Amino acid sequence: MVAPIYIIAVALGIAFLLAFLKSRGSKVAEFIMELTIAFMAFISLQWLIGFLSGTVTEKTVYTAGFEPPFSINLVMGKMEAFFASLVNVAGLLGGVYLRKRLKEQGANAVIVYLLLFMGLNAIIMTRDIFNLFVFLEISSVAIVGLILLQRDVNAIAAGFKYLMAIGVISGLMLIGIIFVYQFTGSLYLNDIIGANLTTFKGGIVAVFLVLIAVVLELKPFPANGWALDVYQSANPGLAALISAAFASALIFVLHKLMPIAGSDWQIIFATIGAVTFVGSNLLGIKQSSARRLLGYSSVGQMGLLVMITGLTQFLNDKLTLIAYGILISHYLAKAGLFWLAGIIENDNIRNWSVLRKKPFLLVIFGTFVFALIGFPPFPSFFAKWELIMQLAANAGYTWVVLILLGSFLEGVYLFRWLGYAIKLDNLDLPDFKITWEKIIPVAIVSVGLYILGYFATPIAGGAGNLNFIAIAFVIVIFLVDFLPAKLKNAIAIAAIALYGYTFMPGLYETDGLRFFFSIIFIIGGILTLIPGFAYSGKRRGFYPAVLLMYAGLGELLTAETMLQFFFAWEIMTIGSYILIIRGKHSITHGYSYMLFSVGGAYLLLAGFGIAFASSGMQNLEALANITTLAGWASALIAIGFMTKTATLGLHIWLPGAHAEAESDVSPMVSAILLKAGVFGLVLLLIHLGADKAMEHPLVYVLGWLGALTALIGNLSAVFQEDAKRLLAYSSIGQLGYILFAFAIMTHVGWLAGFTYTINHFLYKALLFLIIGGIVLRLKTHNMYEMGGLIKRMPYSFIAVLVGIIALAGMPPLSGFAGKWLFYNAGIERGWYFQGAIVFFAGIIAFLYLYRLIHAIFLGQLKDKHRTVQEISPWFLIPAYILIIGIMVFSAMPELVLKPVGQFTAQYFPNETLQWQADGTAIGQLGYWNNTQIMIVVMGAFALILLWLLMLNRNAKKVEQFNMVYASERPERPETTHIAYNMFAHYNKALGFISTPRITGVWNWISEGVHALADQVRRIYTGNGQAYILHVLAYIVIVYLLTTGGF
Amino acid sequence: MENFGLEHITLITGILVILVGLWGVLTQKNIIKMIIGFALFDTGIHVVMVSIGYVRGNTAPILDEAVNAKNAAQEIVDPLPQALVLTAIVIGIGITALMLAYAIKLYQKKKTLEIHNFKDLKW
Repeated sequence: MVAPIYIIAVALGIAFLLAFLKSRGSKVAEFIMELTIAFMAFISLQWLIGFLSGTVTEKTVYTAGFEPPFSINLVMGKMEAFFASLVNVAGLLGGVYLRKRLKEQGANAVIVYLLLFMGLNAIIMTRDIFNLFVFLEISSVAIVGLILLQRDVNAIAAGFKYLMAIGVISGLMLIGIIFVYQFTGSLYLNDIIGANLTTFKGGIVAVFLVLIAVVLELKPFPANGWALDVYQSANPGLAALISAAFASALIFVLHKLMPIAGSDWQIIFATIGAVTFVGSNLLGIKQSSARRLLGYSSVGQMGLLVMITGLTQFLNDKLTLIAYGILISHYLAKAGLFWLAGIIENDNIRNWSVLRKKPFLLVIFGTFVFALIGFPPFPSFFAKWELIMQLAANAGYTWVVLILLGSFLEGVYLFRWLGYAIKLDNLDLPDFKITWEKIIPVAIVSVGLYILGYFATPIAGGAGNLNFIAIAFVIVIFLVDFLPAKLKNAIAIAAIALYGYTFMPGLYETDGLRFFFSIIFIIGGILTLIPGFAYSGKRRGFYPAVLLMYAGLGELLTAETMLQFFFAWEIMTIGSYILIIRGKHSITHGYSYMLFSVGGAYLLLAGFGIAFASSGMQNLEALANITTLAGWASALIAIGFMTKTATLGLHIWLPGAHAEAESDVSPMVSAILLKAGVFGLVLLLIHLGADKAMEHPLVYVLGWLGALTALIGNLSAVFQEDAKRLLAYSSIGQLGYILFAFAIMTHVGWLAGFTYTINHFLYKALLFLIIGGIVLRLKTHNMYEMGGLIKRMPYSFIAVLVGIIALAGMPPLSGFAGKWLFYNAGIERGWYFQGAIVFFAGIIAFLYLYRLIHAIFLGQLKDKHRTVQEISPWFLIPAYILIIGIMVFSAMPELVLKPVGQFTAQYFPNETLQWQADGTAIGQLGYWNNTQIMIVVMGAFALILLWLLMLNRNAKKVEQFNMVYASERPERPETTHIAYNMFAHYNKALGFISTPRITGVWNWISEGVHALADQVRRIYTGNGQAYILHVLAYIVIVYLLTTGGF
Repeated sequence: MENFGLEHITLITGILVILVGLWGVLTQKNIIKMIIGFALFDTGIHVVMVSIGYVRGNTAPILDEAVNAKNAAQEIVDPLPQALVLTAIVIGIGITALMLAYAIKLYQKKKTLEIHNFKDLKW
């Protein structure tokens, strides 16, 4: 082991040496500096590895040969080694990044750079409080010196403001230190901690001044205007170091000094951190400058870490994972983001779409964004999870709310930014150059995030045997993204089939519920991938996203613990977000989908937190054992899931997201993805317990919500001109039925729910496939621009016909089974009024279904469509497989319903539906045999068909423009086409119900929050003196809050 | 008034100088004047530090004919704050110098030294 003192000695020595060699050595100065920092990093990493492997023990270095307090001493412990390693690795990578700039600037800049890292290492290791002050000053001054790497006036002005603020802050710290010395007679940290200074007034002031100075160095909101300007205007290479290295070191200093104040003050720091985390992220949402936005985000993340430092007493043995997880994710992601900002040299976040010219950089950008917010598989995900769990376990619910609120606000601006980068249509921007020295650091930190995420997993409670194989495969697919789409499609289908094979066989016997959903997720996944063969080219980015989504869906089913479930949920969210935002006009829809998903996920997280706190369990059975705050937990979890099922109020993202998605994505997100929310709700209801849940207020609310969702979804579908939007609203309505059925909480109700679930999967996938195929052919979504396509696309027509009969719930197809069970259940339960609404909604469905088939396939063929081809066979094949499914399910519903009934009976042992040998179901209100119904209806249909065929002899064939039909102008269909504004009269009567008021409410909230952010950020006037005043006022206010008066 | 001694006078003076310095930093619009304010603020802190180390009736911590090396501890003031002040002065000078360098750069860019002319970055 190299002694830790060499970290400082070498840095200082080389810095002096460079000063002497200045004239001659400026060429090699930069290289010598890199070697030096590499050596420093080597020493600290060597110690870190030693501590991790348990081969070394804490080492104390006594300078000048005296023991403290008579000399300064440095400690190299586990934490010191960790933080020194962080700082030195940042220095090494940052040095590579700044290589060219430092070379241009010559030896002086190199010396300052070296001194910055010498200072940071010293403040980490020293146990002498004055020594700490000195090295803090050296580091700060070095930063201010390096700001001059950027020569524009804004950077210089920002540097001056920074310097003035730092000067005042450190002056106050010095006063604090000298009084600490007066009261304790020592500068040795351990002596000071032992002196219990906060027991008397003078000591309180002294300790306060020291600690508040450290806090101020961490740029707390709102006393941080001086720092934001530097983040915005300094060289991004330097901003990365301030945000990653300097802030990390300061967090450790705060941790080191905190014991001086004792545990009573911790809550103050937690509050300071919370205010910063929420406040700074709130202001972030109004930013359009990428680097300033990163500044707000950095400040916010530091607030979160200060908060964690203040909340240590709640975090038990998970503190290490939480603090390091969030710290290191921030460290890597933020450094990477600042470096990226420097590479693309375009500060407006709208212009980051230029990243698409270098797709691998776009993926790295996405990695950083997801890591910052705390998505899997990054360390911050596990850290945030444990943070919420432990806080909930200690009843720190206020903190939970603040953390989730701040995180959500962070999501608001980060996902807006990511959306711009992925989708915004301004590709005429000039390309940017990349150089190896700038790419290497970025690549290293992004790979580091994945590796550390993998190693963070086992530390989290309940991670168990979390399956990373699927994610690893997604990464592999991403790496071979240059292959043609058709090949990747085949690989993807094989992968999903193989994945299903790993857990589906045998699942039927052990867990009928999960087997049921695995059919939808896995078989559905394979079917909806078949249309992918219709696409040519490479479809870059499509397959990693698809596989990520299906990996998430699959892992939802195999999840045993709440953490595994949430992990899968978030994985699925990432994949589906990327899929949705790929659509041509999907930028806003993908964004709103993501915001609802993130919001919903945080509600889930809070609900799981309560469940963990109340039951002490990590597996999903915790949901069944919630004793305290049970109502809150189930409501939060239910709302979380309902963001995915698009229940009324939370549905506004769905129509756009599903309608604008690519043709083969719509069936995936509509027929399959929505069922993830259903699966979640079913799990929740199971764990509520059938006996208890009957009278639970939650199920009443869910029932009503389901009924109203059905009504409004269906009614809105009626008034759509866009075929895919019509189907999307129809999905909202159908999911309303499903919610209603499960909320009934009886055996028959659940049978109806499962029937609707499988039905909706079958016919919505079918309809979206066909309509998607048609849209690909005709290049329009508008129904009034279609018409008469029955002649050109007969197979599509038949498929849609089957689909709408099934959807309408008319005999003989399977939808009727759902309806029969549904009304039985509703009547049994006595939910007459809700039932009537649902019934009415069912009638409305006829209107839009009629419109769908009529407007597209009947009426006049448009001139430009005279030669249009039948839709691609790759869309027809899965559609017809689904039709077979519908037919089998219709002819023999007992094939599905019996086993479903069996596993449902576990939860509802009484009042089960009886099945007879011939497939007749006997409920309490009557019996039903769909096989017979099918025979009768088919017979009647055949008779009428024969009759018509006989009459056909008398029919007279007319040309298309025979006057009888000529009330339509195919060249401008919207003037006379019946399909345009088809239900205008109903719109007059009932349209008020479907006016998008809820969208208005959400818009109002969003605008309000943005306006608030815009008002608050005006405190940053740009005036340096105002910023110093903020600092002083902040000190006074926090002092008053800490001590409760002078 | 018996308890009121030299150390109190210096302490109060130091605090006053600190406040005057802060006042200057906060109210002067000219960057050079702000820097002078900062220098005063720093000097005030140094005076406070020296006053903390003062032991009434004792002399400077320098071993010469006035101080007997054997019982120096009883005869001198606390040497540590004085040592710290030396360091603090050095740091303060460094910072002041850097501020002045910045002032030159700012003047070169905009031909003005009024702080309110440098408000391009805000919000």
